[in-house]
Amino acid sequence: MTLLEVENLHTYFETREGTVKAVDDVSLKMERGDSLGLAGESGCGKTTTMLSIMRLLPSNGKIISGKINFDGIDMVSLDEDELRRKIRWKRMSMVFQGAMNALNPVFRVGDQIVQAIVSHENIEKEKAWARVEELFQLVGIDPNRAKDYPHEFSGGMKQRAVIALSLALNPDLVIADEPVTALDVIVQAQILELVRELINKLNISMILITHDLSVIADTCNKAAIMYAGKIVEQGDIMTIFKSPEHPYSQGLLTNYPSIKSERMRFTPISGRPPNLINPPSGCRFHPRCPFAMEVCSKKVPETIELERGHYIACHLKTN
Amino acid sequence: MMAGTKTALYKRRIRDFILQYKESKLGIVGLFILVFFIFVATFANNLSDHSIKPTGGILKDRFKPPSSKYILGTDDVGRDIATLIMYGGRISLLIGFLAAIISGGIGTIVGLTAGYFGGWKEDLLMRITDIVLVIPGLPLMLVLASLLGSNFWNIIFVISVIGWTGTARVVRAQVLSLKERAFIESSKAIGASDLRIIGYHLLPNVFPLIVAQMILGVGGAILSEAALSFLGLGDPSSVSWGMILHWAFAVGSLSSNYWWFIIPPGICITLVSLGFTFVGFALDQIVNPRIRRR
Amino acid sequence: MSGRDYFIKRTVLVVTTIFVVIVINFFLFRIMPANPVDILISPTQGQEKMGIEIKEALMKDLGLDRPLYIQFIIYLKDVLQLNLGYSFRAPRPVIQIIAERLVNTLVLMFTGNVISILMAVSLGVIAAWKRGSKTDLGSLISALTLTSMPMFWVGGIMLLIFSVRLDLFPMFGVTKIGYSHPNFLSYLGDYLHHLFLPMITMALVSFGGLFLIMRNSLMDVFSEDYILTAKAIGLSERTIIFKNALQNAMLPLVTIIAIRIGFMFSGSLLTETVFSWPGLGYTIYQAVEWRDYPILQGTFLIITILVVISSFVAELIYGYIDPRIRTGASSG
Repeated sequence: MTLLEVENLHTYFETREGTVKAVDDVSLKMERGDSLGLAGESGCGKTTTMLSIMRLLPSNGKIISGKINFDGIDMVSLDEDELRRKIRWKRMSMVFQGAMNALNPVFRVGDQIVQAIVSHENIEKEKAWARVEELFQLVGIDPNRAKDYPHEFSGGMKQRAVIALSLALNPDLVIADEPVTALDVIVQAQILELVRELINKLNISMILITHDLSVIADTCNKAAIMYAGKIVEQGDIMTIFKSPEHPYSQGLLTNYPSIKSERMRFTPISGRPPNLINPPSGCRFHPRCPFAMEVCSKKVPETIELERGHYIACHLKTN
Repeated sequence: MMAGTKTALYKRRIRDFILQYKESKLGIVGLFILVFFIFVATFANNLSDHSIKPTGGILKDRFKPPSSKYILGTDDVGRDIATLIMYGGRISLLIGFLAAIISGGIGTIVGLTAGYFGGWKEDLLMRITDIVLVIPGLPLMLVLASLLGSNFWNIIFVISVIGWTGTARVVRAQVLSLKERAFIESSKAIGASDLRIIGYHLLPNVFPLIVAQMILGVGGAILSEAALSFLGLGDPSSVSWGMILHWAFAVGSLSSNYWWFIIPPGICITLVSLGFTFVGFALDQIVNPRIRRR
Repeated sequence: MSGRDYFIKRTVLVVTTIFVVIVINFFLFRIMPANPVDILISPTQGQEKMGIEIKEALMKDLGLDRPLYIQFIIYLKDVLQLNLGYSFRAPRPVIQIIAERLVNTLVLMFTGNVISILMAVSLGVIAAWKRGSKTDLGSLISALTLTSMPMFWVGGIMLLIFSVRLDLFPMFGVTKIGYSHPNFLSYLGDYLHHLFLPMITMALVSFGGLFLIMRNSLMDVFSEDYILTAKAIGLSERTIIFKNALQNAMLPLVTIIAIRIGFMFSGSLLTETVFSWPGLGYTIYQAVEWRDYPILQGTFLIITILVVISSFVAELIYGYIDPRIRTGASSG
């Protein structure tokens, strides 16, 4: 059953230098129980896509066109009040980039979770605190620490706390933006393990946004690769990782070293990410693509379905 | 690097700077205000025929409100107030500039030394800065001025001695962050002397920041001079805007409602101070490495 | 740095500063161009030139014939016993004059600054939330303009408009001169009537700077991740601003107030002088005018010590309300 469907989303930002076309015709689809990994370089539009879905864009950003359908609800035109009362945190929650600052430094961690619970449900404080204990146990933190302040938590603990916060109201969808980037490798592994457990145990749907493909490989069942505001390839995790078809995905994935494999020659993707105010014409990847043809600089490739559930936007496949 | 390319680099930097500056609306307004006042102050003798000498006024014209002959009215000895204000700009601006430059200089030396050398030198200098910062400025200026006597240079000295702390802190912070960078370490490894590192590497980097601080400081210095003059510690032979206000209050313009004596000099001080604040603010935006993500 | 370290560090700084101030105070008045006795018996006091023996006797009496370091020890002893000498002009102990006038300064500074802080916080919140709007820009320019105005001039304008032109408020002093009040309430009313204009002047003078700081602080806070989280959680705008954001934004404000207490006192000094409000600031002004050095020295010392102590108290308060300092560094 489709939980989230994004169709032809365009989100632009007005800046002094011009209009930044951060998300330019993005479409995705998620079923209940999916965990979708949204991958791409910094600045490719993945965070903006998430902010659009959650309607948390800054004042200079706007959804220009497109549809966002969350379990039958039209998110784009939804009334602000309804959004606040019915969707936010109750059905859709987030884990932010850099949990360092996602928690308010002047309140105790437990208080912040209680605030979230109490603002949506009419329950007494004791019951809310009981839930906080439950959540802490779920994510592996000593419940007594709930009365501490965020600066007293280590990096890994803070991340767990933020995850606990996101699960406070049993949402349908959790969107995690770079949840482990700021952590060291060992702690990263622990947190990813936790995320896997939680997904299985609680049957949550998740969108995991990151530039680090190894993170997606560990936790997701579907992947979407973004470049310069567009999705260039998406499909289930095995297909994308084992046989990527888009040149950009191939570039990303062959540069993924493995201790087990033999020494490879690295072929880094040459060039730089494009300017999103004046993006390249046609396929935005064409200046860096080793297989670029004439049509690539002239026409924007359409998204086609290569096989069931595997989509790609590339002229190489359109013929 | 050849001499030719270095000047080319500086030329490009200056051009970039001008372009960036033009973007700041505040900066443009501020600059406009300052140019206006500097112009009027410089060409005061061309713009007005009236005399500002204490004996130069026509006594029977004293305390006259604005008219076609005296556009801003007259003071207690019959002098044209508009003329007084024009000449007054010279003193106020001069004192402001000099005090700001000197306190900027002191602040730079303190900040560079503390930031670069660290250790007990830094501790001592920073303690001194904290102490000077916490002692109330105006009372200290009052005490110093009353002990030293009021003349042009004493006032500048007194204002400078209080005003260097801001620059010191800012410069030190900048030096601390620059110290982390590799080029300092490599210079030391090559064997460059401390003086050379400070003068050749640090100073050019810190310089734009110092200039921005100094410009912001001129406004404050002008306000300080005005306060000292108002309280009776200004140079009685000079015509600064602060002194004009001092006489205005002293001869009872308030109770007699001689508003033209009180309002215009204050407006000038406010505008000039604003001008320097705007310009300093615009410069700070360009020059300050703290980039705020908003 | 734990809470206790913060406290100790601050205390040491305060004690050192006060000591330094006493030393400075002592030496400042010794670098006077003239011998204190000459000033005491100067012709402007209406006395003829005295004989050398009398001069020497006076010097001995004032302890000016002893070496400098002994003079300093005597001075230190005196200060600790709150003996600040006698005024040149009025035959009264300096400390008495200060004690009488201290209250007026405290009242003026307290009321003026409370109003100023309230205004700065409320307008700061509105300006930061509506960033970039006309309200924001307008308040920004107004605040900048206020901080550029000479403080005494603002007082003068207030007097000109509300006292001289509109005759709503008195021009100077604390109460009507020569008027004997029948009861305390009448006295209080008269006092407040006289307080009003100076208080508003003080508020205006402090407001500009505080507003700018508050606005900046709030803008910083609003761009933090935890505010975005609060929005994602669906908390109401009111809750986000007044509960989640404000407490964070107030922290730098307390620090700034701690630093600015000296500046606020300078504002008080000028305001008191314009309105002839008999507080410590006005006292210093009069002392300068009459070259009454004992008063000048004593008042300066007391003012400085008070400012240093208030600054210290403000920093302690900050240490308490910021949980990061109160509970110490992270354990992770």
